[in-house]
Amino acid sequence: MKKSNLMMIITMSLFFFGMFTWTVLADTPDYSESERRVLAGFPKISVQNILDGDFADDFDEYAVERFPARDMWRGIKAYTSRALLQKDNNGIYTIGDHISKIEYPINYPMLDHAADVMNKVSDKYLTDNNVYFAIIPDKNRYLAETSDVLAIDYEELTEYMTGKMSFAEYIEIADLLDADDYYNTDTHWRQENILDVAQRITGKMGEALNGEFTTEVAHTSFEGVYLGQSALKWQPDTIKYLINRTIENAEVEGAKAVYDMSKLNDKDPYEMFLSGNQPIVTIKNSDNTNGKKLIMFRDSYGSSIAPLMIECYSEIVLVDLRYISSDMLGEYVDFKNADALFIYSTSLLNNSLALK
Amino acid sequence: MLFSSITFLYYFLPITIIAYFLTPARYRNGTLLLASIIFYAWGEPKIVFYMILTIIVNYALGQLMEKSSRYKKIWLLISVLFCLGSLGYFKYADFFIENINAVTGLSIPLLKVGLPVGISFYTFQILSYTVDVYRGRVKAQKSLIKLATYISMFPQLIAGPIVRYQDVESKLDNRNYNVDAIAEGIRRFVYGLAKKVLIANILGELCADFRTAEEISVVFYWVYAVSFALQIYFDFSGYSDMAIGLGKILGFEFMENFNYPFISKSITEFWRRWHISLGSWFRDYVYIPLGGSKGTMARTYLNILVVWMLTGFWHGAAWNFLLWGLYFAVLLLMEKKFLLKVLENRTIVGHVYVLFAAAISFVIFNGESLAQIATDFSGMFGFSGLPLVSLETVYYLKNYATVLVVAIVGATPLVKNFVCRYEKLKLIEPAVLLGLMVVITAYLIDGSFNPFLYFRF
Repeated sequence: MKKSNLMMIITMSLFFFGMFTWTVLADTPDYSESERRVLAGFPKISVQNILDGDFADDFDEYAVERFPARDMWRGIKAYTSRALLQKDNNGIYTIGDHISKIEYPINYPMLDHAADVMNKVSDKYLTDNNVYFAIIPDKNRYLAETSDVLAIDYEELTEYMTGKMSFAEYIEIADLLDADDYYNTDTHWRQENILDVAQRITGKMGEALNGEFTTEVAHTSFEGVYLGQSALKWQPDTIKYLINRTIENAEVEGAKAVYDMSKLNDKDPYEMFLSGNQPIVTIKNSDNTNGKKLIMFRDSYGSSIAPLMIECYSEIVLVDLRYISSDMLGEYVDFKNADALFIYSTSLLNNSLALK
Repeated sequence: MLFSSITFLYYFLPITIIAYFLTPARYRNGTLLLASIIFYAWGEPKIVFYMILTIIVNYALGQLMEKSSRYKKIWLLISVLFCLGSLGYFKYADFFIENINAVTGLSIPLLKVGLPVGISFYTFQILSYTVDVYRGRVKAQKSLIKLATYISMFPQLIAGPIVRYQDVESKLDNRNYNVDAIAEGIRRFVYGLAKKVLIANILGELCADFRTAEEISVVFYWVYAVSFALQIYFDFSGYSDMAIGLGKILGFEFMENFNYPFISKSITEFWRRWHISLGSWFRDYVYIPLGGSKGTMARTYLNILVVWMLTGFWHGAAWNFLLWGLYFAVLLLMEKKFLLKVLENRTIVGHVYVLFAAAISFVIFNGESLAQIATDFSGMFGFSGLPLVSLETVYYLKNYATVLVVAIVGATPLVKNFVCRYEKLKLIEPAVLLGLMVVITAYLIDGSFNPFLYFRF
């Protein structure tokens, strides 16, 4: 008998039985803060469940998702992946201070679906309106300029979409942005960096945006969606917001406030902008008596740019077609005498199934 | 249940090992049998009853063959018909129905019966037992528990190696345990698990990326061919290592199933190193009974063709597997006729020829259809008008370069020879194994990609 073999048996036995004990005894959370999702619970035990194989499948999922110290193991995998010189881990990659997720390739059926929904809305509600269209590039567009990570051809996507949106005037904004206009750890853009974008859009829509704001800090340790997905140790972001008298006086329906500070302690602090994703939010600006109304069809990026435009309108109605069907809009939104803006990110357009 | 799963590693295995070694020796077969039934039922809660029935039927037929030897042939025939009939029903019925419909224009409805996990493995294992009893090579096992333990033992139940009854017969009665054997078992198991999770699964992701790529290129096709060949090798040999390792821990010695096939200098040699238990099964139970190479040259060639078509068909009920078998039959016939003489003393040529032939073979093996295989070959050999290389190809090559290099080196005996040369490396082995288990666990928790390719069989 070799002593080294005995050592090995003892070591590995302690490991396996130790891990078994840990998995059985550990009390693990049913929600993952880093992944922002509910984790699998212990499966239902019934004869039917067992015979169908559902119990086994669900237990396997439970065993993985509720393994103790899940985030630690995910971190080990992430760092091992980096040690193996892999450029991405589950599609998540880092360039400089940025963490991002690969968006590739262009999904033409999804672009078609998005265009179909927007065309349907236009045909049904916007025949007498000025309609505009803007595409917000996700930050991969800019990160791809300094890396060889796979990225879609944004020009091609833009050309394809504008070809499908002939009823709308296209507003180009990509040239006003770069990677640092986005949070390092999140997909979204920084509100304090997109004033020029808001000015160009409102300018093209016939309204001059003066843009006098004060910058305030809302959150100094914002861990964006990509940070959790990456499982890496990373410097969190700071959320800043722009405020002025107009924003302070604005009245909001469908959200708690323009800047909903209660969201800063929730799972996604970015939702402080207009309380996150809501089907319909109405912002009324009684300081503006021009009677102009804007209907903004948007995704989550729209939540942070809409406050900057309040001063140009008496009323802005934000519509999120992921949470309300376009068929029902007429019951909730008055489209008369309003300008319409479709403003979506490339990530939404490329994965537009939720639009209805 | 997969070996490479949290459920197996940190629930089933510790409980089973504790229960097994706490059980008095004379009842250990019962514990192993119970654990094996649970193991199989985990993935096949209904089909487990079929497996139990098959064991009982063939146990009875084995007894009958010994007690009533006048009708031995009949009992053997019943065993063969039962086993192959069941295999045919579960695995091949819809293939034949589809092809009959295609040829005749009929619309016979498909049976749509799910393929039970591991059925091809344990069916062949059962048949090897009943044939060996018929031939008088082994005595029929009197204990149903022992026979059931042999057929169903979880280390090799669903993915081999195909264990011969004579190799474990004495161990069913009496098993000795020693520290060195158990340590070797642990070693084999962990290295096998690492091969599966840290190499095969990652290469599998590369192959999946290839299939969904936007900008394929000629180089990408070859990267795919090489990657899939390595994936299936590490997947299957890793699983075999785990099976052999678990067997050793439990007191059994299973045959080796892989012996660095990619260092072969001929396809004849390749098939002595790849899935050895299957090759030897077909040799002993099909090729030799057909006459082997004892008859005329024409008869020998026919036997080789039959065996290899069946070998291909064993792997799957689809035309690409038949084509795969035929492909190897042609190469083996060519080698038998003249090619082996040509390759003699041409080592480098032999190595290049085998690597090329193996890469081509696995493209056929992994083709979803004959049309896809044609597309793949067209792409590989530059007939599709594809560019030589693309940005996407370069990205994925960079992404997987380290793992590919590790896989290529690991597919040769270089690492083993290096470790054997330096005895002192054994001192750090526990730390290495622990480190591997930590990383493996991390990959299992964070990854969702964990297929086992040979589960189709």
